[in-house]
Amino acid sequence: MNEQEMLYQKKLERYTIAMDCGKPDVVPVMFGIGEWAGRYTGNTLQEIYYDLEKSNSIVNEMLPGLDFDVFKGGPTLWWPPMFDAMGSKLYKFPGIGVEENSTFQFNEQEYMKVEDYDEFTASPTEWLATHYLPRISSELANPGSYRATVALIKGAAAFAISGGVMGAAWGKWTVEHGVVGQTTGFTKAPFDTLGDALRGMKGILLDLRRRPEKVLGACDSITPHNVNCGLAGAGADRRFPCFAPLHRGAYPFLNPQQWDTFYWPSLKATIEGLWAQGKRMLFYAEGDWTPYLEKIAELPDKSIIFQIDTTDAKKAKEILGGRFCLQGGVPTTLLTYGTPEKVKEHVKRVIDELAGDGGFILDSGGVVMGDAKKENVFAMLEAAREYGVY
Amino acid sequence: MSEKEKLLVPAPGVCVPWEVKMEEFGTFPGNEEIAKKEWEKLDDFAYNYIWFWAQR
Repeated sequence: MNEQEMLYQKKLERYTIAMDCGKPDVVPVMFGIGEWAGRYTGNTLQEIYYDLEKSNSIVNEMLPGLDFDVFKGGPTLWWPPMFDAMGSKLYKFPGIGVEENSTFQFNEQEYMKVEDYDEFTASPTEWLATHYLPRISSELANPGSYRATVALIKGAAAFAISGGVMGAAWGKWTVEHGVVGQTTGFTKAPFDTLGDALRGMKGILLDLRRRPEKVLGACDSITPHNVNCGLAGAGADRRFPCFAPLHRGAYPFLNPQQWDTFYWPSLKATIEGLWAQGKRMLFYAEGDWTPYLEKIAELPDKSIIFQIDTTDAKKAKEILGGRFCLQGGVPTTLLTYGTPEKVKEHVKRVIDELAGDGGFILDSGGVVMGDAKKENVFAMLEAAREYGVY
Repeated sequence: MSEKEKLLVPAPGVCVPWEVKMEEFGTFPGNEEIAKKEWEKLDDFAYNYIWFWAQR
């Protein structure tokens, strides 16, 4: 076993022990090279988004100087050329729709209409392919046409190409730097699948009052698909959790009665479905989930890693600690508006409060935004190593 | 779209089940498992591509 393989095994062991609520040799540190890194490279965000090799080269250059355990990935979440090929209406990307150094914007619409509920619920995959894709993609406006056929070929090719490029990049980071990846598989709460890209915020909130049974039926129909998406294929990895960014479940988007009725049952079923097959979920609880901690505690032990963004950390520790790994604790606003000294003080306090018995991974509370200061992000890493010793 | 296609309700991870395709092949003189394995890989890719657009 060479030096990088030993490093990989050491980091993997830390991560695994913490996920199982144990106490590793040190507090594991989660880290990602976000959009903020782009500002320090002389490239525009558009260049970084469009050129995967450039984006990955930024990671290649930065990794040797960074000390952390688990890697969340590079500066971009998506490859816009795939969206351009389809004429996607879902996002505005840097340089197309927004200024070349602006972050992306989601263009929320009611892409699924009220009258679509029954057909969607009866056969979601078929409905997505035949109705949703043409609606969100200007190139597919006339299904079966030359433009639509070419766009589908290009879009699917781009999906495969970007997957191959990123797979090779992760392989290189693992072999050359001993990098351990954060997750395998991607899923969402069924209510978020319905409320984010299909019905939109306004649509789903009206539906809660006007057609609640349709919402419940659609969520039930989505649930087995979201279990499948999280598993990332039959026989795929079970060591790492699947990533689940959770949106409308944060307080106070829904009132507690709505949360109990519409959000939680299908999310709980998704988590239990995954866990029955040995797959854990990174419960990426963006925002405040404090009012729902008792409900979340009903889940099977260790079936999630609970991400602390603005949720009350002490209450999370009190209610979930010992049965579920906790992760996060460093506010993203602090990384943008704070100072290295403030960041270090906060990291020390978080470790004191949350890490004592193990089962804790230090991380930013949510996605670190493009305006975060590099010196603050690096201060978080330094303080984590300084104070995160058991 | 044929009546058979309209009745198809793909399960999670599936767009067009191998069983449906097999029926359309009629006779299959070779090793079915070889063809099935690769069919299902591509079918899974298509499934993930379709759901990718809804899971953002």
